[in-house]
Amino acid sequence: MSVAVHLDGITKRFPGGVLANDQIDLEIEQGSVHVLLGENGAGKTTLMNILYGLYEPTEGRVRIDGEAVDFDTPQDAIERGVGMIHQHFTLVDPMTVLENIALGWEPIRYGGLAIDDRAIEADIRELSERYGFGIADDIHTPVEELSVGAQQRIEVVKTLYRGADIFIFDEPTSVLTPQEAEQLFDVFEELTAQGKTIIFITHKLDEALTAADKITVLRDGRTVGTVDANATTQDELARQMVGRDVLLDVDKEPVTLGDPQLSVANLSVSNEQGIQKVRTLDLTVHRGEIFGVAGVDGNGQSELIEAITGLRDHTAGEISIDGRAIGDLSRRERMALGMSYIPGERQERALVLDFDLVQNAVLGNQRDEQFRDGRQIDWTAVREHTEEIIETYDVRPPDPQASARSLSGGNQQKFVVGREFLRDPDLVVAAHPTRGVDVGSMEFIHDQLLGMRDQGVAILLVSASLDEVTSLSDRIGVLHDGAFVDVVEPESVTKEQLGLMMAGEQRETEPAVESQ
Amino acid sequence: MSQLKERLERLFGTLVRLSTGQRILVSLAAVIFAIGVGMVVILGAGYFATCDSPVLFILGAEFCYNPIEVSLVLFDGSFGGNFEIARTLRWTTLLLFTALSFAIPYKAGLFNIGAQGQFVLGSLGAAVGVIWAAAFVPGGAVGRLVLVPTGLLVGAAVGGLYGFLPGYLKVRFEMNEVVTTLLFNFIATAVAFVLVDRYFVDESIQGTQTEAIPDAAALNPQFFANSADFSLPVFVFALGIVAAAYWLLTRTTVGYELRAMGAQPKAAIFGGVNERFTTLFSMTTAGAIAGIGGALFVLMVLGRWQTGPPPLGFDGIAVSILAGNNPLGLLPSGLLFGALQSGGQAIQFQLGIPSELVGVLRGLIILLVATPELFRMMGQRLDRRGVIDIETGGSD
Repeated sequence: MSVAVHLDGITKRFPGGVLANDQIDLEIEQGSVHVLLGENGAGKTTLMNILYGLYEPTEGRVRIDGEAVDFDTPQDAIERGVGMIHQHFTLVDPMTVLENIALGWEPIRYGGLAIDDRAIEADIRELSERYGFGIADDIHTPVEELSVGAQQRIEVVKTLYRGADIFIFDEPTSVLTPQEAEQLFDVFEELTAQGKTIIFITHKLDEALTAADKITVLRDGRTVGTVDANATTQDELARQMVGRDVLLDVDKEPVTLGDPQLSVANLSVSNEQGIQKVRTLDLTVHRGEIFGVAGVDGNGQSELIEAITGLRDHTAGEISIDGRAIGDLSRRERMALGMSYIPGERQERALVLDFDLVQNAVLGNQRDEQFRDGRQIDWTAVREHTEEIIETYDVRPPDPQASARSLSGGNQQKFVVGREFLRDPDLVVAAHPTRGVDVGSMEFIHDQLLGMRDQGVAILLVSASLDEVTSLSDRIGVLHDGAFVDVVEPESVTKEQLGLMMAGEQRETEPAVESQ
Repeated sequence: MSQLKERLERLFGTLVRLSTGQRILVSLAAVIFAIGVGMVVILGAGYFATCDSPVLFILGAEFCYNPIEVSLVLFDGSFGGNFEIARTLRWTTLLLFTALSFAIPYKAGLFNIGAQGQFVLGSLGAAVGVIWAAAFVPGGAVGRLVLVPTGLLVGAAVGGLYGFLPGYLKVRFEMNEVVTTLLFNFIATAVAFVLVDRYFVDESIQGTQTEAIPDAAALNPQFFANSADFSLPVFVFALGIVAAAYWLLTRTTVGYELRAMGAQPKAAIFGGVNERFTTLFSMTTAGAIAGIGGALFVLMVLGRWQTGPPPLGFDGIAVSILAGNNPLGLLPSGLLFGALQSGGQAIQFQLGIPSELVGVLRGLIILLVATPELFRMMGQRLDRRGVIDIETGGSD
């Protein structure tokens, strides 16, 4: 097999002296899936941005098919057959699939007076068929009406349409459900079967092992090593990534249930379009318990937790904390009752991106006595609090003056988790608390959650990762179409059974054999 | 990625990434450039105008206006002497109020285009208020101590109410504040005219105007020429209001909540900020500040209310945009616009250049100076809404 991409001694030093890449050598074989594995800040994305023409390397050179190239802009990279699919999509929501795919590359008719829609449509259908994308029916649908997984496939088709041979996927699964991630890996196979080359950036070990032919581990801007995917293990990779042994399994004390902290009875919630997303749901979370919600995204998880946390009105039912009805309380009043909330949409909700970390550290706490001095905010106290979050949760760069926008996704998440956990809550509502964070930080966040549970905090956990839900929760409610199919103890079900319940199937009998 | 999007990102990105120092340099360059362009326009207009005694002859062509002279008078008329400086500071003082009236709601994510209406009604309220109250208080120092605060309070109350209304319409009926505040300006002008014409008109003189305010309420010129209608303590008072606005926005809990709502509404709501409160508070405060400006216009400058107020409310928007909507930035930008107003008057009086042409000159300067900041604001908004994605530094 020939080598599609050579990176020879790539070094990238940012103004200010940050060394993001240090003498990286890499060979990527044509027709293979090559995983770049590393923690947040290991330099994966920087390296790929160099390949994609977004950054100029300080030293070193890039070769495509053995030929040295020098990309000034992504445009140059695209013309040379390098395409990149970003974590955040670059689609125009109200425009149709066809318009999005053709945008900027429209074949024209009548000397530029009109766009040749038919030619585009034929091309898209041909691509869709050849690679088995199954988007032919959606060609005239606005992309905002498609699921996240489908939108990602549109990104792939868009990149194909521009004639890419080398695909860079930057953390593509962070926005996907496990099922959608599986589908994405099927797409990888189709692409490589047609001779395309895939570079897949991730920090998730199981995904790396599932999807990759070869895995290169990066740490602190350097390559630790490149291995065949079928000649290594999760533990081995985790050690290379973090530089020390990591406990991937969660060690859990037996649960000691306290009084009910959060009670939800007959709750119904509708979304913006008036469609009922939560249907007469009952739920109790006791002190000292982690209650996990498992389910495919879009089955009412976000509406449920938004109704509990006070961001969305409910249409019927009751919510109470510690026996007190809170259904009519404002968001602020609920927070004052000791509720912490880690929202799934950290960039839209949990952080003001243009504010620095100090100003973000007080978001939600701005009326707390601790940070107030009469009508003024006590910025000195807030700054100390910021430094505490940064230090405890290892937020990088450790600069309170850095804007939230400038942090990587994983570091933003660590900052939000730190802020919410340090509020000394009685109830934690956590949606995807470890989404996008590296293995080392995931271990730390899990420890913190379990520690709070052992101190008697009630925790409602929503996560797209089944592993996370099953390993942390004391009870799991399986949500389908706005209601719990069943509430089970994690030890009493297998993953397959959970998967079936997530698809809406009731367990007909108790499992004959208790697994594990 | 579409080429259009990349082009927009390049265009806006350059502006958004400018440092404060660079933005000041851009503004200065724009002023100089605008004056240059304005001089060319004046030269051209002078060629087509007819006059008895042309002032300039170039290659046989006759010109009625001399651009060099115009630019000298523009400067001389704004800073040339005690009277000129006072006149500049008078306009600056009033512009500071109307500019704050735009800047504070902007920080909360709202566009208050209604400073003009709030200013007009505030000034009428102050005039009527002090004329009415004068019957109950003695003249002299005691009267002054009562009447001046009365005028300011009534102005603030009327203006505040007139700012509260569009805020209420927004939180209650989701009516866009740009549309309501803009239209409220016309209503204010018309209502003020009818009120004065029917109920408060001074029968003794021609025109639609109220009686003169009592002497005890007038803020007499101090430390500067009498005819300039400028009182230094009032300017100091305006600086105090600007400082208070700065303190409000940067130091207080309420100010933090306003800025969070303006920067990212979803995150602010997550943080327990009440959108109704920030909307009503910022619009009411803005209206009250514009209303105080209106009150000062009556108490310090006109001495009565009369129709045809200058468009200070609209100029305030430009002052605020040029200042990047930062209260501290209002000082230089307010001074620039005050000087333009003052120098424009001088050009008109001393050189006999038609006021329309002076308006063109002022308009050019406003346009060229405010445009970079305006585009910068647009870029930030597009970026926040996710339409475009501007890199603002940071790695990985």
